[in-house]
Amino acid sequence: MEVTMDPMFLAWSYFRRRKLQQCSDICTKILQENPYDQAAWSLKTRALTEMVYIDEIEVDQEGIAEMMLDESSIAQVARPGTSLRLPGTSQGGGPTQAVRPMTQSGRPITGFVRPSTQSGRPGTMEQAIKTPRTASTARPVTSASGRHIRLGTASMLTNPEGPFINLSRLNLAKYSQKPNLSRTLFEYIFHHENDVKNALDLAAQATEHAQFKDWWWKVQLGKCYYRLGLYREAEKQFRSALNHQEVVDTYLYLAKVYQRLDQPITALNLFKQGLDHFPGEVTLLTGIARIHEEMNNISSATEYYKDVLKQDNTHVEAIACIGSNHFYTDQPEIALRFYRRLLQMGVYNCQLYNNLGLCCFYAQQYDMTLSSFERALTLVANDEEQADVWYNIGHVAVGIGDLTLAYQCFKLALAFNNDHAEAYNNLAVLELRKGRIEQAKAFLQTAESLAPHMYEPHFNLSILSEKIGDLQSSYTAAQKSEDSFPEHVDTQQLLRQLRQHFSVL
Amino acid sequence: MPEVKSIIREVLPKQGQLHMEDVPTMVLCKPKLLPLKSVTLEKLEKMQMEAQEAVKQQELAMKELSQ
Repeated sequence: MEVTMDPMFLAWSYFRRRKLQQCSDICTKILQENPYDQAAWSLKTRALTEMVYIDEIEVDQEGIAEMMLDESSIAQVARPGTSLRLPGTSQGGGPTQAVRPMTQSGRPITGFVRPSTQSGRPGTMEQAIKTPRTASTARPVTSASGRHIRLGTASMLTNPEGPFINLSRLNLAKYSQKPNLSRTLFEYIFHHENDVKNALDLAAQATEHAQFKDWWWKVQLGKCYYRLGLYREAEKQFRSALNHQEVVDTYLYLAKVYQRLDQPITALNLFKQGLDHFPGEVTLLTGIARIHEEMNNISSATEYYKDVLKQDNTHVEAIACIGSNHFYTDQPEIALRFYRRLLQMGVYNCQLYNNLGLCCFYAQQYDMTLSSFERALTLVANDEEQADVWYNIGHVAVGIGDLTLAYQCFKLALAFNNDHAEAYNNLAVLELRKGRIEQAKAFLQTAESLAPHMYEPHFNLSILSEKIGDLQSSYTAAQKSEDSFPEHVDTQQLLRQLRQHFSVL
Repeated sequence: MPEVKSIIREVLPKQGQLHMEDVPTMVLCKPKLLPLKSVTLEKLEKMQMEAQEAVKQQELAMKELSQ
């Protein structure tokens, strides 16, 4: 005789093994037989939530609307070193733009991307719309909630019988009285349906039912307020939650609020306060390092990343950031060791092999260079990555003096990503070596319009124009170059020369 | 250390002055280390792709139904 397992037990087992779809299917069956089975109902909400769950602390995307119509920051013209929005002044003595590429918001590119580092903060609306997508500077999404809503509707579309829970017919007041159901229901509404307003209603009623003594509900209220853009209310909830119970997550959420309010110093203090309660907590240390990095204070960011590694020596973000910092401070051998460590840990993707290839080349380990790049090319996930890898191979080709190969590589980079401004610039330099001035000029102008934040195309165009005698355009281009990189000595020299010319006339 | 300074003397060539003209040269953009992606970002991108696929298939199915 066949012995069947209790379906509820089986569903739990599936849930624990993260076979969420099977778990949800069994729960659906149980619910068909008995629609009032609360355990199955609750488990199904949990399974559905887990399917689309993303760490709320990490999710932080600013849309164009949030950026341009921002009223929450306190000082519009902040003093240097107190704001995340004017990163221009580097206090850390890190590498300049001449060595380390910048993102369009004027920060050195980082070794690690998170959802929040993706959208740089463009200065003007025009720039915001025009910004090309590259690995480090993605075009900002149109609205912060946009992605969530799209994900939410998609998950609903895939369900043929309509949504599992019809939120508009749900009696939230009834559920908020039942602590064992309300939490899973809240997470379902918040993460799966992305219906922040209903989630807020439920959280407000539940926290009332708990007589305002439950820190968990306060954190959830704060999360809802944060999503709705009510940062001061969110701050109040998180603070109050911290009074009840010290939790690392709450510190992280609160710091996120302060970062959004453009108060990095307050966020730093908060992290330090958190570290008093939770000494050596990796997430708090990482938070400090990230803020330092965003404020362009690379050397102290690296210090904190090293602290992170002392606590957790498999922290991918810390290793990647320290590695890229070493690479751009002229120590590719050490960077190579960090990236090799990542490889040993099992990170296996296109980016890592690309970085290994570059480090190998600049550390003069030529035997490994091309094989690394080959692997990177086999692992690419999309055209942008492919373009970046070919762009870097082009650099290797320039390094060994094979200019034909370099030319082909940059062309390939452009074939995969038509907006690759760096490739346009380098191609222009190669074209000029061949003596094709018009072609070079066209490439430089393209690069300039694609990436106005880079100084190289402006500077090159300035030199080119000066050579062919077009002093006026040379001067304007040199000025643009100075705008994006004020400390560049060659630009200043060129400007001085041109001014002299003009005064003689 | 003033004593040390007096010991080291600058060396000037006796004949044939060497000079160098500094000509500005074109600059290449720098090699770009690609940033690694965080787990959350990877998951987000994966979810978005799956969602897009799902919607596309749904639309295809709808089209077939209407035909």
